[in-house]
Amino acid sequence: MNIIVCIKRVPDTADADISIDKSGKDIDKSGLAFDLNEWDSYAIEEAILLKEKFGGTVTVYSLGGEDSNESLRKCLAMGADDAIRLSDPAFAGGDGYATARALAEALRQKPFDLILTGTQAEDDGFGQVGAVIAEMLSIPHVSIVNRIEVQEKKVKAHRELEGGLEEVVEVDLPALLTIQTGINEPRYVSIMGIRKVAKKEIKVLGLSDLNLKPEEVGLSGSDIQLENLFLPPVGEGAEMMEGKPEEIAQKVFEILKDKGGMA
Amino acid sequence: MKEIMIVAEHRRGELRDVTWELISKGRQLSEAIQGELSVALLGKGVTSLAEALKFKANRVLLIEDDRLEYYNSETYERVLTQLITERKPVLTMIGHTATGMDFAPGLAAHLKLPLATDCIGIDAKEDTFSVIRQIYGGKINAAVSFLKKGPSYMVTVRAGAFPFVEKEPLPGEVISIPSPLTDEGLARRFLQYVEAATGEVDITQADILVAVGRGIKDADSIPMVKELADTIGGVLACSRPVVDKKWLPKGCQVGTSGKTVKPKVYIAIGISGAFQHVAGMKGSGTIIAINKDPKAPIFSVAQYGIVADLFKIVPVIKDKIKELKK
Amino acid sequence: MDFELTQEQKDIQKAAREFIQGEYDKEKILEWEKNHTFPKEVWKKACKLGFIGIHFPEEYGGQGYGITENILVVEEFCRKDSGVGIAVTLADFSSEVILRFGTPEQKKKYLVPVARGEFISGGAYTEPNHGSDITLMGTTAVRQGDSFVINGTKTFITNGTLADFFVVLCQTDPHAKPSYRGQCTILVEKGTKGLDATEITPKMGIRLTSTAELSFSDVRVPLTNLIGEENKGFYQVLEFFDESRIEIAAQGLGIAQGAFDRALDYAKQREQFGRKIVDFQITQHKLADMATKIETARLLTYKAAWNYDQGRIDPKLTSMAKMFAGKVAVEVADEAIQIFGGYGYITEYEVERFYRDAKITEIYEGTKEIQKNTIASALIGKLK
Ligand SMILES: Cc1cc2nc3c(=O)[nH]c(=O)nc-3n(C[C@H](O)[C@H](O)[C@H](O)COP(=O)(O)OP(=O)(O)OC[C@H]3O[C@@H](n4cnc5c(N)ncnc54)[C@H](O)[C@@H]3O)c2cc1C
Ligand SMILES: Cc1cc2nc3c(=O)[nH]c(=O)nc-3n(C[C@H](O)[C@H](O)[C@H](O)COP(=O)(O)OP(=O)(O)OC[C@H]3O[C@@H](n4cnc5c(N)ncnc54)[C@H](O)[C@@H]3O)c2cc1C
Repeated sequence: MNIIVCIKRVPDTADADISIDKSGKDIDKSGLAFDLNEWDSYAIEEAILLKEKFGGTVTVYSLGGEDSNESLRKCLAMGADDAIRLSDPAFAGGDGYATARALAEALRQKPFDLILTGTQAEDDGFGQVGAVIAEMLSIPHVSIVNRIEVQEKKVKAHRELEGGLEEVVEVDLPALLTIQTGINEPRYVSIMGIRKVAKKEIKVLGLSDLNLKPEEVGLSGSDIQLENLFLPPVGEGAEMMEGKPEEIAQKVFEILKDKGGMA
Repeated sequence: MKEIMIVAEHRRGELRDVTWELISKGRQLSEAIQGELSVALLGKGVTSLAEALKFKANRVLLIEDDRLEYYNSETYERVLTQLITERKPVLTMIGHTATGMDFAPGLAAHLKLPLATDCIGIDAKEDTFSVIRQIYGGKINAAVSFLKKGPSYMVTVRAGAFPFVEKEPLPGEVISIPSPLTDEGLARRFLQYVEAATGEVDITQADILVAVGRGIKDADSIPMVKELADTIGGVLACSRPVVDKKWLPKGCQVGTSGKTVKPKVYIAIGISGAFQHVAGMKGSGTIIAINKDPKAPIFSVAQYGIVADLFKIVPVIKDKIKELKK
Repeated sequence: MDFELTQEQKDIQKAAREFIQGEYDKEKILEWEKNHTFPKEVWKKACKLGFIGIHFPEEYGGQGYGITENILVVEEFCRKDSGVGIAVTLADFSSEVILRFGTPEQKKKYLVPVARGEFISGGAYTEPNHGSDITLMGTTAVRQGDSFVINGTKTFITNGTLADFFVVLCQTDPHAKPSYRGQCTILVEKGTKGLDATEITPKMGIRLTSTAELSFSDVRVPLTNLIGEENKGFYQVLEFFDESRIEIAAQGLGIAQGAFDRALDYAKQREQFGRKIVDFQITQHKLADMATKIETARLLTYKAAWNYDQGRIDPKLTSMAKMFAGKVAVEVADEAIQIFGGYGYITEYEVERFYRDAKITEIYEGTKEIQKNTIASALIGKLK
């Protein structure tokens, strides 16, 4: 089973104090830690688990600058066989559609049985790249997958719906699945893995390798464009409780009694 | 006449809330552009749903087919491709839900329609639309414009982003449209629904919920929060990463892919407030949020906020309440 | 000149960071600290992932890297948690004596299981009456037929109650002149008749690590347990220190960085007099001083490691790194407690533990005074 995984390196912002930079179109990324997109870490783990079970290869793709090599190497160290980075000045500023477009062209050059992507990326949250790649490659897809069973020439996938309901679907291979968190437990990178990676070269594909025109990728190939960023309006917002922890506790106690009917 | 088309979402015989929200927002936009609102309804034996929708829009475009009994991205794509190609709506609106996330991106790509996903704001602007999306887990808002020019556009809309507003009925009609589907094999097939195993707990009945998020950092700190819950007579709940990491059972998860809860008091501890979580708890009577990041989006849905390190404040609250209860 | 880590080294650093962050569990650690428990599971996992024995050659179960890569792991582990970091990265303590001087058979027998997480190792040099000065050992080894018979007492032995084997420095020729020319390092396995280990507790810090007294009474081991050449024990141990002290420097460096990380976080949160304490210039200066010391310790430590990996053993540089990084660990952890104020004194807030753990880096593997002696003698030797 030959599997392709598309991944992205993103800044870790959940715990960080983030601010908008001077351009007003991006956040200030200095001082932020970067890592493999959370959803992608489950996708790569799932691919490696499948490979361990059924044999074959895992190839990782990422569209991004040289920094993305860090995440590609992480995937290689986890157990992927090859990594390819899509990089070209023309790719800059692309949205989910343009990113998918470039990736789809690259994947067209490679035989595969299964493509895995994350359900969405932590940073821009388009949740779109996987399904668009599938469309462009004319293969079936299933989104938000939290369980996979491989069968003869097809896959049974559990798709997560709302309210704890799941939908079980069957797709013929080759197919694309977008992976949901929690499907597995992503492994740690081992030193053995890093040693293996050190000998590997990460291939770079540019515009000319992909049979794409500059106007088909990057900002010019995008559906949408970012105008400006702003902090979400707080609305009525929360009444911030201040003071000593004991005073705050006292207030919480009163709220629980008044509003929660705490005995 | 310019048309705005929404795609109705339903499951197991019931319309989903997002459908009403789409209708409300769609109606407002259609009025702004002096156009009309249509609802596309795909399914099998869904005429009663069509009737329910009829007066909320100018028309319901009903496509019934046995093959549409269960949602399937492939059948949806085929039917909607034909419908959108024929009717050329200026804007197609779809829920950014498990269903919409599944079929909208492929459909837009297929039709070469510019698409903006997960919108929380949409405004008509001359012959295009400007939208607002959230990035970085809801910490930042982004004003976004369509770069590619229409005449048709597509958006997926975050569930809960627009309220359902009751408006005077429209002279709606149900127009049955023949299904373009054939028995030609589908590469994707629906098999069945299954309920995720949730374990014993039922968090939907509690008056007080104490919900813990990834901020708790590890499984062994969960008892600390459990103690607080016990002290105040509440039940323990959590955000998704806590379930993903198997620190608590799936039945404790609040949010779109977990439970929707409406306790009298909801205490969110170390939860950032991603919309998928908020969707499951915003109906709570009173929300208290504890987070060390003053910019955490959870503070915009909470009535009370505490900016603090949960490891420091939670034990203090627990001890103090124990003492006060005596 | 190039001060950058290689790509591979950065990957190792990141892998170590992610691993220890994933394993970090404050409540558990406080529990282990209270009960003096060795973090066995974390150690096993670290071995399985190749972090322990990273500097052993592949044929002996290692990863074939140098000491630079080893200390990157030590630094990251100790940074996230001084207690777990020290305990886990000392699980292979003294195995380098075998690595550098042992026979291929010894290496196969002892190093492979150490790297795999099956064996914990120990090194027994210090005795109740011979600490800084190990030129004459009270523990003796006498040849009897095909065995050595060992008698004596070793004290403060890391992993004493846990280790599967020890490298023991023995006096084989009490009449040698000078006495250190009559010493050998000999392998003694756990469970050998006559070997007894008694835990020494309570102690100030590194409570996740076992420290024990070893008593040898007529302990018999085969002559093949001799490591390297006869009567070269003292020299081997000194050479081993030239390597291991860099590792201790990395412990200090990691502890300092970890204490600093926590202090910086806290200073940004804590408010007094209506402002964050980080807004007081005095706090800012403290942080600036701490960071500068840490960076200096890092430069020295990395340079010592790099030098070693270039095949140049430089006791002076190693001692400088060990002495300085240890001192920085203690000073920075001390200042971190100060920034935390009263909270810093409370176990829950961790920096007091970093402080207690930091102190050992100024004592074991040669006190800071002994390091100064080494530095000075190298300097003066050169002047001559
Ligand atoms: C299809 C789909 C369905 C989903 N369904 C759900 C769902 O049903 N429910 C759900 O919850 N999520 C769901 N998610 C995931 C959602 O997008 C978020 O990833 C998730 O809600 C984040 O959980 P969190 O807030 O616990 O973690 P994070 O976003 O990582 O936030 C952790 C928070 O803890 C705070 N914190 C950290 N340390 C401390 C401390 N010491 N003291 C105080 N605060 C601290 C941080 O400031 C941060 O705000 C879904 C996602 C997708 C794509
Ligand atoms: C927790 C712990 C773990 C340890 N682990 C091990 C281990 O695994 N294996 C092992 O063999 N040992 C171990 N040791 C022992 C450690 O290496 C010795 O304690 C250390 O070398 C100092 O020896 P001492 O305690 O006998 O002090 P002493 O040598 O008695 O020193 C007392 C003081 O005199 C100073 N001093 C001594 N000589 C001089 C001099 N020439 N000039 C100036 N000042 C001098 C010292 O610097 C010190 O300040 C450990 C110790 C501890 C506390």
